[in-house]
Amino acid sequence: MTRHLIHPRTAPNAERKGTMKRPEWRARARRIGMVATAATLAATGAALAHSEGGGVAVAVEGEAAWSLSPVYHILVAHFPVGLWVTAYLFILIRCFSDSEFAVRVQRAIWPVAALGTLAGFVTYGLGLTIYPWSAITESPLGRNHILLATWTLSYWTVMSVLGYRFRRHLFEGAQRWITLALATIGVLVITITGTLGGSLTGTPSLVTKSLGWIGWNVYMTFYLPTWMLWAFGLGAVAIVALGVMGRRSRA
Amino acid sequence: MNKRTKYLAVSTALFSGLLVLGWATHGTGIVRDDPERNIVIPDELTSTLQVRAAYDGERIWFRYRWPTERPAIFNDVLVYQDGEWVARGGEALGPNPEYLTEDRVAMMIDDGSVPLFSRYGGYITIGDGLTTFTGVPETDEERTKYLPSTRTDPNDFDTMRPESELEALRAAGQFIDLWQWRSSRSNPIGLGDDGFVAEERSGDAGTGPYTTNFDRDTGQPLYMFNPEVAGSTALSLDAVIAGDVGFNDTYYLSAETAVPFDPNLDWQNGDTIPRRFLRPTDGSRGDVTQPSAARWRNGFWDVTLVRDMDTGNPEDDKIFRDGGNYDLAFAVFRNSSTMRWHYVTLPVSLGLEQPAQLVAERVEPGTEPDWTQPWTEITTFYPGQVTWGRLTDAQQHPGADRIAARVPVSVRHSEEQLALYGVQMEFAEEIRAQWIWTLIVSLGLIVGLGINVNLLMRRREEQK
Repeated sequence: MTRHLIHPRTAPNAERKGTMKRPEWRARARRIGMVATAATLAATGAALAHSEGGGVAVAVEGEAAWSLSPVYHILVAHFPVGLWVTAYLFILIRCFSDSEFAVRVQRAIWPVAALGTLAGFVTYGLGLTIYPWSAITESPLGRNHILLATWTLSYWTVMSVLGYRFRRHLFEGAQRWITLALATIGVLVITITGTLGGSLTGTPSLVTKSLGWIGWNVYMTFYLPTWMLWAFGLGAVAIVALGVMGRRSRA
Repeated sequence: MNKRTKYLAVSTALFSGLLVLGWATHGTGIVRDDPERNIVIPDELTSTLQVRAAYDGERIWFRYRWPTERPAIFNDVLVYQDGEWVARGGEALGPNPEYLTEDRVAMMIDDGSVPLFSRYGGYITIGDGLTTFTGVPETDEERTKYLPSTRTDPNDFDTMRPESELEALRAAGQFIDLWQWRSSRSNPIGLGDDGFVAEERSGDAGTGPYTTNFDRDTGQPLYMFNPEVAGSTALSLDAVIAGDVGFNDTYYLSAETAVPFDPNLDWQNGDTIPRRFLRPTDGSRGDVTQPSAARWRNGFWDVTLVRDMDTGNPEDDKIFRDGGNYDLAFAVFRNSSTMRWHYVTLPVSLGLEQPAQLVAERVEPGTEPDWTQPWTEITTFYPGQVTWGRLTDAQQHPGADRIAARVPVSVRHSEEQLALYGVQMEFAEEIRAQWIWTLIVSLGLIVGLGINVNLLMRRREEQK
């Protein structure tokens, strides 16, 4: 309760100076770890408990020895989506406001994003257990869902690390607009991944159709031509090089 | 804006630019015609077939209408070239640019006897290793579609059941009735072609509406045009290819239009004679006819086929009964295409005055339908190369378990989706490899961005 009485501009002093006491940091990490582990165990237990029985068993040629019903992936997928979108909402608020409220929600950005990433890994893993790899990668929609899920997960892992490392500094000066741009790309890939998941379960949404209007029929595999693969590869190297050069510029 | 922030902005712009460029160029570079592998992708992947049906208790009519830019009224022809008669046209990979492959419409019919036909239509007849599929070696005899139940291993063409078992299956109704209309080989004399799909796709017992107009021993045609009827003994190849020969010309050989071939005439290079001679049908194969020869008008073929509801051939034909429900699946061969370059439909339910997707209206006995009922519009699509073995294998198809659970294909897939999947299946390995590289490289780009931003983001105190 005391925390609410502290002025937000003075409350995170310890954090701002990067001098959070080690035991406090460890305790926080332990709490987060316990909650995440409990959630993972609960989801896994529920999945295992329900992975057999129900309906009429049908022999299918080539069926995987072990798989989970898509239900659990769909169920768990709501957590990373909800958490990441919440993190984006907080980023949006903070980018356009320096109010007390905005500063308060800014402090929640990295934990929310990181929890979303943690849940994202669980969701990704559950997704991979549904179909044999050989089968899901034969399906254009399956390929697209995996591709976008990989982008989303890796992207938000990067965002979570950024959020943890730079916290309020993400919103200092012109950096806030870069933060906004990066987060907006992040929320776009979440949206596309989610809608592809819906299409995969037979419920395409307006987003699915909208993607078609802007040049991507989601029933066509998203792959890059070879020259574009080189461009991406070289682009990755160039982006790292820009980072190193900029770091050395010391300005 | 300080220097590091500028670097950051440039990096973000570069990343975003690559994403936009990737978006703009994705899906290119692999899907293309490859005749060496029997791959030709139609320009249009979907189209529409309009259908009406009517019956009078004795006969049943189906009327079909579909678009095609130019009618193909010839199939294979014999062309005189430097002293020899050379066959031209007929089979072709994809649309025949010379329009020497006839247009067709085909209709598969079942009465519920064939397992899964009502849910998956023609897909169940596509076993592994059929003629023209990529990688399938050419064989002397065409390896046609077949029903899975006719094989001990449904996915192996060569494991046909013994004759006695095939006969038992046929008696139990395990065959699909197959009506066909051919713009060159049946239409000119107002006939259809009655066949079946069981252990193979073939014609019913009896004689079909065409035979070969070629004598292998002499290497010459058997018949030529009767000049008194046609005005000349042969057509000009250039005129045939250019589409200058039409319905009002004598363009087919039959008893009324042909005379025996005379090798002593002064034949000129380019003289062209149809390679088929049309004749009246006989037996069960002749059950399907037309009220009159169909014509192509204003960009559409408009075809009507008629048959006795009960032909008396229950092991060749599905017998229609008043008030009955049936399952149909159509195939349209348009723009001068044949073999697997057709447009197919998902299964369509037919009801004889019963609720169904296509309802056949009852007309007074002895009268012809007035066709005032609305068309039933059915989406047709290019199916690509998708075999039943692949669809039912959980290692190759994520929906194999739903097929095992008898979930109809239309529940999970639209025609457009199936067409796109069919095309991609023709390049399955290439697309999968490119997709994996896309996954790896794009992941590298995101990691690169992560490193970049972590290096360039600054804390205020770092400025001091």
